[in-house]
Amino acid sequence: MSTIAAGTTTTNALVSTGDTTGALVLQTNGTTTAVTIDTSQNVTFVNSANLPNTFGFKNRIINGAMIFDQRNAGASGTATGYTVDRWAYYGAVASKGTWQQNAGSVTPPAGYTNYLGFTSSSAYTVGASENFQIYQFIEGYNSADLGFGAAGASTVTLSFWVRSSLTGTFGGALLNSAANRSYPFTYSISSANTWEQKSITIAGDTSGTWLTTTGVGIQVNFGLGVGSTLSGTAGAWASALYVSATGATSVVGTNGATWYVTGVQLEKGSTATSFDVRPYGTELFLCQRYYWSKALETSYSSIASGAMITTSIARMNVVYPTKMRTSPTITTSNIGNSIISTGLDLNPSGTFTAYINTTSAMMDIDTPATGTVGRGAVWIFGATATTLAASAEL
Amino acid sequence: MYKQTINSFGGEPTSVIRLSDGACIPFAQDNTDYQEYLKWVAEGNTPEPAEGA
Repeated sequence: MSTIAAGTTTTNALVSTGDTTGALVLQTNGTTTAVTIDTSQNVTFVNSANLPNTFGFKNRIINGAMIFDQRNAGASGTATGYTVDRWAYYGAVASKGTWQQNAGSVTPPAGYTNYLGFTSSSAYTVGASENFQIYQFIEGYNSADLGFGAAGASTVTLSFWVRSSLTGTFGGALLNSAANRSYPFTYSISSANTWEQKSITIAGDTSGTWLTTTGVGIQVNFGLGVGSTLSGTAGAWASALYVSATGATSVVGTNGATWYVTGVQLEKGSTATSFDVRPYGTELFLCQRYYWSKALETSYSSIASGAMITTSIARMNVVYPTKMRTSPTITTSNIGNSIISTGLDLNPSGTFTAYINTTSAMMDIDTPATGTVGRGAVWIFGATATTLAASAEL
Repeated sequence: MYKQTINSFGGEPTSVIRLSDGACIPFAQDNTDYQEYLKWVAEGNTPEPAEGA
């Protein structure tokens, strides 16, 4: 016999007990079945299920598992700029630390294969207006639905795995594009050199201007050493530029200190749910909206095709992997090693002019003046260390 | 430092070359490198003329 009874604890306020053989059925609109829980505890929704934090594509962070490192391919760096895809480092003073995918080669948390690491290279005392940080800019299109900047802004939860050689209270912040609205937060690391999962729930900001298209929607920032001027009270929105919380541990303050992070997720709602594991190719596509590079994959990789428009200019149509956030900056390295194949192979001189849009670029590549006007051409990378890259980062 | 480019289709140039790395920067408002270029120009700097200009 089925019963419905008041619960006995605060976590089961109402208990519905089925009989020993049948399913539990919830009905709406009279006797219309809405949900069935069978005897094997499988749940069936007759219509759609609205569970906003449960399904895929809930994470506003791209490359939160630090899988893709198109720029550096695992190499370390010390400069301000992009580290692994979508994640940037800023250091107010040069050479105070090294960033690297999988720095220190420790075992990542279960379920992960990569992380982003930072290692301090000195015991630097951070100035009041100086900051060192790892951050990601979330594009406005990917945060617009959160409704920041108006009444009803959604609560969000930031979760991540972190490991440090230091213990104590660490800090970070969420900011808007203009960096005049910020929410400093803290998290504690209790055991040195041990992965710990953290989550911070943040009430959506109902003030300020938050961009909702191709600009910076939300900046997610982890402080590695932030001066007092750029640090604020944790747990509250402020109309100020704060990139971390007051009193947070300075990683750059200890020579050799390490700080590693992975599994970063920013999602709608007040609960940290499981990490949003997206298909490998899909996550790469998401990264390539902001940056992609083509390099030699095998002996002779075709990059683009086109034709000789003069005896010394090959016009190549370079098609991007995906539509980019904006028309990207195009860079090359060692294209003198590449080949313009027209029947007669030509080696580019190394200079080019490009006509760039968000889906493709027409590149006029300078060659020796031995080409034949009108002849079709294929651009080939035939040697190592040749790259073509496009950046539309925020 | 930057260098202007020539628009082979005629009209105004659509990009500028960053001399430090040879990057071609499109004149796109949302491009952060273009924003840096505009800041550089606003500081009173002038790009080198395009080759053949």
